[in-house]
Amino acid sequence: MILKILLAGDGGQGIQTIAEIICRAAFQKNWHVSYIPNYGLEQRGGVSLSFIQISDKVIGYSKFTTPDILLIMSEQARARVKNYESGIMNYDVKDYAQKLEEQKIGKSSYNIFFLGLLVKYLEEKNVLKKEEVYELLEKKLGKKLNWEENKSIFQTCTL
Amino acid sequence: MAENLAKFCAGCGYPITLMMLNKTLEKLDLQKRAVLGLDIGCALLAWNFLPINTFQTHHGRVAPTMMGFKRARNNSICFALVGDGGAYAIGLQSLIHAAKRDEPITVIVANNTVYGMTGGQTAPTTLCGQVTPTSPKGNIEEPFHGPEMLKGVIKDGAFLARTAVNEPKQLQEFLQKAIETQQAGHFSLVEVLSFCPTNWKTNGVDTINKLNGLKDIFELGIL
Amino acid sequence: MLEKEKQFLTGHEIVIKACLDAEADVMYGYPITPTCEILSGWSNIGKQYLQTEDEIAAGFAVCGAVLAGKKAFTASAGPGHILLQDAFSMAEAMRLPFVMVIGQRGGPSSGTVIYSQQEVTLACYGGNGEGYRLVYSPSNAKELYELTRQAFNDAWHYRFPAVLLTDGYLLKTKSVFNLAEITKMVNIPAHALVPEDKVVHWPNIYTLEEELNEEINETKKDFSAISEEISKAESYKTDGIEYLVIAHGIVGAVAKMAVDELREKNIKVGLFRPITLRPFSKKQLDDLFVKNNIKNVVVVESSFGQLARIVRDELAPEIDATFTYIQKPGLGIEVEEIVEFMKKLKI
Repeated sequence: MILKILLAGDGGQGIQTIAEIICRAAFQKNWHVSYIPNYGLEQRGGVSLSFIQISDKVIGYSKFTTPDILLIMSEQARARVKNYESGIMNYDVKDYAQKLEEQKIGKSSYNIFFLGLLVKYLEEKNVLKKEEVYELLEKKLGKKLNWEENKSIFQTCTL
Repeated sequence: MAENLAKFCAGCGYPITLMMLNKTLEKLDLQKRAVLGLDIGCALLAWNFLPINTFQTHHGRVAPTMMGFKRARNNSICFALVGDGGAYAIGLQSLIHAAKRDEPITVIVANNTVYGMTGGQTAPTTLCGQVTPTSPKGNIEEPFHGPEMLKGVIKDGAFLARTAVNEPKQLQEFLQKAIETQQAGHFSLVEVLSFCPTNWKTNGVDTINKLNGLKDIFELGIL
Repeated sequence: MLEKEKQFLTGHEIVIKACLDAEADVMYGYPITPTCEILSGWSNIGKQYLQTEDEIAAGFAVCGAVLAGKKAFTASAGPGHILLQDAFSMAEAMRLPFVMVIGQRGGPSSGTVIYSQQEVTLACYGGNGEGYRLVYSPSNAKELYELTRQAFNDAWHYRFPAVLLTDGYLLKTKSVFNLAEITKMVNIPAHALVPEDKVVHWPNIYTLEEELNEEINETKKDFSAISEEISKAESYKTDGIEYLVIAHGIVGAVAKMAVDELREKNIKVGLFRPITLRPFSKKQLDDLFVKNNIKNVVVVESSFGQLARIVRDELAPEIDATFTYIQKPGLGIEVEEIVEFMKKLKI
């Protein structure tokens, strides 16, 4: 089994934060995991990509062009990944506009919303455990200001 | 006193500086701990001159090499022997930062206002109007004053001074002060006004006169 | 249950761990992508370090430290690697055990900041000399660790400067690193090249052409003598092959996966992956041609022929080989590209 996940967003949207959490949770489940971040030259505001692979075999190369799961979190990111075709799942922020508004999710928490969706899928596929992701998330963001809000977003999305 | 016959030109100022350095080390009983790094330029000719550990480096690179050595062997007494070009042109960036970081090494700069080894070309210390192979109509720039410039970046306890090869007492005094400064953990630099009759194309009397004339432009003393 | 030795680490962290385990004393460096994290990582573990004013100073400070008998290293890339060649050529001349980690980025000039295989020539032959340096090209995290350790050991054992030649992809990738899988290694200790108990006079510039020539001949002799012993390459599925793929570094890892796929399609292809680029496993490569009737050699690399030039140069002149190339300077290469190329080649 090999699962290739490409996360794409704007710098500052917290793409690498959720990538790191997904990878660590998969690592804890003893998978082979490979993760490489990619951004432009800009220190701020460029496109931020995470190339993640989770496999039962040693992973030979960290980049890929055919992700199984693709997450797009911004306009700029959509343009950047237009040549990457997703095989199984496609999460695009534009398809979730209504849902995000209904649930009153602030821009700074979009990453947690999508983390929830990804984790829900990955748990169904027995890749990782929601509880373990939650622990990692709490460790990372538990002391931040909007933790209660993020916590509830994550829990709602993974239900 | 010299380990091997000098390869310097007749009348060169470098051997005087080196003899004084050796005398000072002898006096302080530090020869065994002394390590002499040489820049490329006439300084390189000193590779087997003194009875102390000596090696050659690259042009402009003796200061960072000796910094690396000193940091690796704290009880060594490290000298970087370099010409005015190596110190103030190609190696200036490293020299400034060694001084700024207060690296406990002693830099000895021979200032003879020309690039000796390559045929007397213009140096950062070449006087305004001085004719050299690369300033055939006379140098249009004012000379660079190294120790004065470094004064702005050094820390308390560092030692900057200028003397001349024909001021043996002062030369020895400054070298000793520089070594003591290094032992106290600070940066030191002694610029030595030196002569180069080969490239100056001067006879004995003119050589001394020219050297003494330099003292009006490059002031001697502790900065 | 998670095994104790298993960690989830970036390539940078693996390099730092390897340097620590090699008992390196000091790092001198200047920040440049993609090796900044090695400098900042090393600066935070309580070992001696200095961020110098440029790579030139970092390189010569490494020279000074090894002269005094400390295991010193630097890490850099691209334009920084160019500046380091100044000190590295002194290390080549004086046979200093200088270790540098190079994270190849795109070139020429500032190029791009993460990946290429365009610093092969610079690493192998970057000085005004003959290239008597050791160059290691790891293909994965495990080799990144092992070859960093090896670089220190070989440098101090044989007194040649060493380059761990990797790239930003391997350095920035976070992956599973299992210490239990690592080959155990005993460290070669450092020793003072400028001794404390006797006086040395050490030139690296000569008056006579004959003196220099003699010196270089000595170095060549020493380098040749250790070449067979320390050169390393992986020959993978090379029995009865008609096609040979040659690749190094992470492209070598990709090529290996491509060979697996092609073998399933009954294409008789194998891989030769040099692990040391200097010295080069010449005999191992020549032997593949002696044992097999190879129709075509495909050199795959993220550069316009920097590896291919070495291969053609090292291959015995009497071997008649047809060369084909996949060359993508500055770009990563995928398994599918190699598979497709080989399928077309076969037709």
